[in-house]
Amino acid sequence: MRGRAVTLPVLAALALLLVSCNGAGDTPPLPSRGPGIPAYGDTLVDGTIGEPSNLIPILATDSASHDVAALVYNGLVKYDKDLNLVGDLAESFEVSRDGLTITFHLRRGVKWHDGAGFTSRDVLYTYRVIVDPRTPTAYAEDFKQVKKVEAPDPYTFRASYAKPFAPALASWGTTVLPAHLLEGKDIAASPLARRPVGTGPYRFREWVPGQKVVLESFHDYFEGRPRIDRYVYRIIPDTSTMYMELKAGGIDMMPLTPVQYRRQTDTPDFTARFNKYRYPSASYVYLGYNLRNPLFRDKRVRQALTSAIDKQEIIQGVLLGMGQVAHGPYKPGTWAYKDRVKDFPYDPEKARALLAGAGWKPRPSDGMLVKDGRPFRFTILTNQGNDQRLKTAQIIQQRLRAVGIEVKIRVLEWASFITHFIDKRNFEAVILGWTITPDPDIYDVWSSGKTGFKELNFVGFRNAEVDALLERGRRTFDTAERRACYYRIQDILAEEQPYTFLYVPDALPTVNARFRGIEPAPAGISYNFIHWYVPKEEQVYSP
Amino acid sequence: MDFRTSFFYTVFWKRFRRNRFALAGAAVVALLFIVSLCAPLIAPYDPAAIDAYRVLLPPSASHWMGTDELGRDVFTRVIYGTRISLYVGFVAVGIAVAIGTLVGLISGFYGGWIESVLMRFVDIMLCFPTFFLILAVIALLEPSIWNIMLIIGITGWMGVARLVRAEVLSIKERDYIMAARSIGASDIRILLLHILPNAAAPVLVAATLGVGGAILTESALSFLGIGVQPPMPSWGNILTSGKDYLEFAWWLSLFPGLAILVTVLAYNLLGEGIRDALDPRIHG
Repeated sequence: MRGRAVTLPVLAALALLLVSCNGAGDTPPLPSRGPGIPAYGDTLVDGTIGEPSNLIPILATDSASHDVAALVYNGLVKYDKDLNLVGDLAESFEVSRDGLTITFHLRRGVKWHDGAGFTSRDVLYTYRVIVDPRTPTAYAEDFKQVKKVEAPDPYTFRASYAKPFAPALASWGTTVLPAHLLEGKDIAASPLARRPVGTGPYRFREWVPGQKVVLESFHDYFEGRPRIDRYVYRIIPDTSTMYMELKAGGIDMMPLTPVQYRRQTDTPDFTARFNKYRYPSASYVYLGYNLRNPLFRDKRVRQALTSAIDKQEIIQGVLLGMGQVAHGPYKPGTWAYKDRVKDFPYDPEKARALLAGAGWKPRPSDGMLVKDGRPFRFTILTNQGNDQRLKTAQIIQQRLRAVGIEVKIRVLEWASFITHFIDKRNFEAVILGWTITPDPDIYDVWSSGKTGFKELNFVGFRNAEVDALLERGRRTFDTAERRACYYRIQDILAEEQPYTFLYVPDALPTVNARFRGIEPAPAGISYNFIHWYVPKEEQVYSP
Repeated sequence: MDFRTSFFYTVFWKRFRRNRFALAGAAVVALLFIVSLCAPLIAPYDPAAIDAYRVLLPPSASHWMGTDELGRDVFTRVIYGTRISLYVGFVAVGIAVAIGTLVGLISGFYGGWIESVLMRFVDIMLCFPTFFLILAVIALLEPSIWNIMLIIGITGWMGVARLVRAEVLSIKERDYIMAARSIGASDIRILLLHILPNAAAPVLVAATLGVGGAILTESALSFLGIGVQPPMPSWGNILTSGKDYLEFAWWLSLFPGLAILVTVLAYNLLGEGIRDALDPRIHG
């Protein structure tokens, strides 16, 4: 028994030697590839960490579900490659002069995957089910602003608002659901959650739990038949396993980690077989404080915490330099982003001074901060499976210890993190990320009216001026006026530091080089997926 | 007592000395003790000191075993990992030996239904796949170094119990036990003063071999992320972080892997050496 057990470390050491000898690969590098001739056929296998939860997208909040849904469904509008709103299921749309009414002219001849025709009835149903209080959706807020909807004919849909609502048009990008399959039924119990029917370029074929979701091209798609015949999501819950699969040819596309991008993929073998892309992602990562906790109530303390954290160091250590410092909730370079906000750069001396001002004095024995005999200590929670957030927490832990604050780190499984800690407001500090939407309306995250159960302002930020600015920003269509509102909000957030905004990471997707037609744009690479193709002679999977 | 001392210093040592593998094992074990006691003196860095600007550097003059994914010095962490491993090994085995000895003594000495119950319990415990039992218990408790030691201990005592029982069965029939009994010595006195010392030799062997096993189990659990929790360095959790970078950062897996290999091997050789030296029946 004991003799057998010794093999574990031996195997670890041997496996390592094998791998490092094999590193440079044995497939001969292909000659540089031309564009080839566009053809139908082949399969793209995409690697994903998470398994979708529900393929009726209004019922799901996880990105895996929405990624699949994006190929299966359409909205009335969508963002084009430059993040402008354009028609999708709507051929065109008009916003009335007062901004209170939007009229959508729907495409004719659009078919659901089961062959039924798409009409304004579907849009009407989608609106009604989202605002229905019995529907468990997180996306109702935008639609509660709607005063009246009407469908004067099968190809016209009109929504009216009582007050101007700037995110209105963007909100109609929500996926339109098939009324003929859902009307009069309980959406939360619908089989469509596992077998969706949409109008999108790909139709659902099968879902093997824990393994894969398979989609196939919809030949009657209104923008034309997609070139790639099949799209397979393979669920691989570990990035290094996924990377091995990528190199073995088991998957064709995955998001690389910074270490993979910088240190593992610059080999001739890899660059001949894969293309990698890099662009700022539409998301930011932050350290959020529970503002109900007395520890974080004093803004000087929050300012001090930010001053004690070196964001550049985190970007270097965690992202290997592939990201940007975040100062607020917007993506650098977008119209609402304010370049120069006065926030708190890394300055441990200033941090100590601010903390001393707030009554936290170093204890002579070990230099840890105390106030009224109580040491300054708190726990940072973050989710499992995100190595970058854990490393971020560890770097922050070291920096805060240097100014006398003791930090513990706890890593939690995602579902229990959300239900037991975030929803119940049972946390001191968290490291999490938000997606940055193209429309700068951030009402849901920062309004004091959104601090209730399951709502997104879970840190409990309350600021009357921000509330007023958020309201003003969504009630006008004038971009200059909106920008002024969001600029001011960024100044206030920089002063208040309810979060320490940490970084905007770069997205680092890689795709097998046999796929052509990929054109990176501000929207990323997936926006024109239906035009990707593999030249006939390079196709790997037969139909 | 005189007889005993002379046995240890002459017969035992004579036999042990002839076994080169056992001597090598003993030397490595002694070295590990020195390393773990003097860790702060030997290690060039602080084991928790993160340096974000020097992540995943290969071995060099300033970092003998390279740096890990947070820029910490791997050599330093392997040195401090020695402490954790020995600590876990000894405490866990201590617990196992204590429980095992107690169960073995009682069941061997009293026999009858007590023995039946205890030995069937041992059989039941042996039926569980230990590792999965540990996984199940960890799922209920929080993973920490204390729980790890406790669990490895309470799942590893069965072998010791069987050994001790077998010894007790033969010892309790000897004349000196009869003599002690005839002058009215209590059960406890007989068990502790007359039986236990004479049953100690196989326990010593089992314990030495057990330390190697416990270190291995700790490494495996830490590798799976449910053992010693970061930032406390253990060989197993250094290996885990190495797994993600195996393809190019070989130093992160190789050195802790070698440390585990060498340590477990040393304990096994030492344990076997002690057994051979104590038991003349094996080597005529």
